[in-house]
Amino acid sequence: MEPEPTVLDSLRKAIDAMPDDVPLRLHLATMLLAAGQRAEAIRQLGAVLQRDPGNAQALSLLREPEPDPPAVADLSGQPPADPAVLTSERAAVPPPGQAIAPGDSADTPGADKADGQSFDWSQAEDELRDVLPAMFVGEGEAAEAASAGIDEADAYDTERPGLTLADVAGMEEVKARLEAAFLAPMRNPDLRRLYGKSLRGGLLLYGPPGCGKTFIARAVAGELGAKFIAVSFADIIDMFVGQSERNIHELFEIARRNAPCVVFLDEVDAIGQKRSQLRHTPMRSAVNQLLLELDDIAGNNEGVFLLAATNHPWDVDSALRRPGRFDRTLLVLPPDAAAREGVFRYHLKDRPVAGIDLAKLSRQTDGYSGADIAHICETAAERALMDSVRRGEPRMIGTPDLEAAIAEVKPSLGSWFDTARNVALFANEGGTYDDLAAYLRKRRLI
Amino acid sequence: MVTELRQELARASAMLDVRRFREASELLARVVAAEPESSRAWCLMARAHLGAGRYADAVTAARRAAALDPADEWPHRLASNALVHLGKFADALRAAWEACKLAPGYWQTHVCVAQAALAAQRFDIATEAASRARGLAPNEPDVHFLSGKVSLASGDLTQAREHQERALALDPAHSGAMNELGRIRLRRHDTAGAIRHFISAARATPDERIYSRNIDVVLLRTVSRTIYLFTLIALILIWVPAVTHLDRLPFVIGLGALALVTAGCFAWMVLRLPREARLMVRRTLRAPRVATALAMAVGGVAVAFGIVAFTPAADLAQVLPVAVVITVAARLAAFAALRAAARRH
Repeated sequence: MEPEPTVLDSLRKAIDAMPDDVPLRLHLATMLLAAGQRAEAIRQLGAVLQRDPGNAQALSLLREPEPDPPAVADLSGQPPADPAVLTSERAAVPPPGQAIAPGDSADTPGADKADGQSFDWSQAEDELRDVLPAMFVGEGEAAEAASAGIDEADAYDTERPGLTLADVAGMEEVKARLEAAFLAPMRNPDLRRLYGKSLRGGLLLYGPPGCGKTFIARAVAGELGAKFIAVSFADIIDMFVGQSERNIHELFEIARRNAPCVVFLDEVDAIGQKRSQLRHTPMRSAVNQLLLELDDIAGNNEGVFLLAATNHPWDVDSALRRPGRFDRTLLVLPPDAAAREGVFRYHLKDRPVAGIDLAKLSRQTDGYSGADIAHICETAAERALMDSVRRGEPRMIGTPDLEAAIAEVKPSLGSWFDTARNVALFANEGGTYDDLAAYLRKRRLI
Repeated sequence: MVTELRQELARASAMLDVRRFREASELLARVVAAEPESSRAWCLMARAHLGAGRYADAVTAARRAAALDPADEWPHRLASNALVHLGKFADALRAAWEACKLAPGYWQTHVCVAQAALAAQRFDIATEAASRARGLAPNEPDVHFLSGKVSLASGDLTQAREHQERALALDPAHSGAMNELGRIRLRRHDTAGAIRHFISAARATPDERIYSRNIDVVLLRTVSRTIYLFTLIALILIWVPAVTHLDRLPFVIGLGALALVTAGCFAWMVLRLPREARLMVRRTLRAPRVATALAMAVGGVAVAFGIVAFTPAADLAQVLPVAVVITVAARLAAFAALRAAARRH
């Protein structure tokens, strides 16, 4: 008996609401086959196989021969509401018993099916390709890239950064700690072996936003002469919409193939958020997969170095911070005086400036982030530009422009330090945030 | 097209799960521009607005979703939540009822009704809805958390504590339940116990500032009460020699003793607090507004007492009202300064 169109519609809606419900999809596929809507049934069965590759019922339904077209075939997959549409669809199907010309089979959908004996797998794949997401990020692109002779790792924007720590202005304390905790053991394998220093685990950079964590990560990769794969929150979300677990695995596979390679997980708090905060969300499985990969890297460290950055280390799942994973942390604070001078210099180097007192500006911007200083330079340039427009002649950007911009741009780190104060006061178990607490005490924030 | 939409919605949903409201809003703005008939997209948009605190926009988006899919309960729950934040409690309750009517077997709809009823101070409705939610989802910590809030609002402290403890048993990291236990302790005048719970909550969720704010407010309230008590007894000590014409020396000694006892009581309370709270007390007392409040209160009493002490007995009747006015004014000024400090926190 052919099912009611309303029943099919209800089932479709139910599947929209619960796309992972395999039995429901199988039920819909069976009913669609009964209704003669084979094209949509195949799509549903493909979706089932995507979720459960060995599903016997789906495979059996797919192998079922297509019945002879009914006297009035409805190939649209929709209830025959519009007679005109129905007529035009019907015209595309040869009448039963009519011979099909050999040349038609390649171009005419359903030509092969008309014999009722075989299933056109390539057509099914073509149909599924539009419906289902690629299994791995850049899968299609990677294949194309490989055929074009492009490195597969391009899917993850592998790069070889030219930066080194010498390019990071100031921040001597951070550099010294990086050297001791990460770079020296990496660069001196003999000494490392002598002292029994393990290379297990990664380094987690944390600190307020806009203070150069990503820049430092690139510099570390440059120091190691390694390739660099930066994975942002948006990348992970893109992986996640589809099959994140496999994609995270793929990422680490690519890093191994491109060793020596630094994998940099930016905004790791979003990627590896506390699983208690993801109780009812599928992102939880992405965190689990990340943990598995980190353990794998720990056991099979063939030149893959892990770096991560976060503004909120307290939101990172504690499992990610265990030994062998991101077990070393480094606080990257707002730039010190020398670093602020460097940031001003960098953002003013391509602008028309004259008589800039960097030391003075640096003193006035204590507590500002690198991003805030970039904004100050932008504001000062805007001010000089508007003044030039008013005067009708261009003029240089001077210290007064930058001082006026400093008065206008407020430091953006207040909110971060409010949370950091709570962390230092209440959540500094085992002294995890002692360096942060010391900084806050020094600045009389606690 | 359908697949693309589904993927974009999944992407937005994942962003919302990890509280990336800005990125989710940007993505959803593009999605609803391309697919304005997608009820789910509008729901997610409402959720993004809610997370970012744009409550009026959240209501608009939720209502749009409800118009597109009248059989779906989610838009009504979203609208109800946003309306509570906007202070439109009656409308919030109506929206929650609508959600409940559409999906009576779904515990979230009953939680929504309880929340809106609680905000509207309709405790009978809230109690009933919370009870229905508990019946549908007995192992859901949020249900017990809300039930505890309803009980606390109804004045049943024992029941409230039981609900919150159940929520914590189901989810030991439930910082909301810890905070509520602190509020219950506070209602029982157990300041140190309350602060301990607030500290646990702040430790579990350090980026939720309401918990540390609660600690600040409790500390400020304690300081305020100490000042109040000190001023009140000081007034009596000023008044008695003036009225009784007795020797003033015992009262001078009494005032000194009072100052010492008040400071001692405060120190004792502070010493009972956990280390973190003691650090906060130090910080609170150092805060300019709090220090000003303390200086005003103690200074007012000192000036009033000085006036009384150095005025000849014959003139005491005239200066006594002045001394009282100075003391009370200092106390009021100190109170205002503390309120300002609490608001600032």
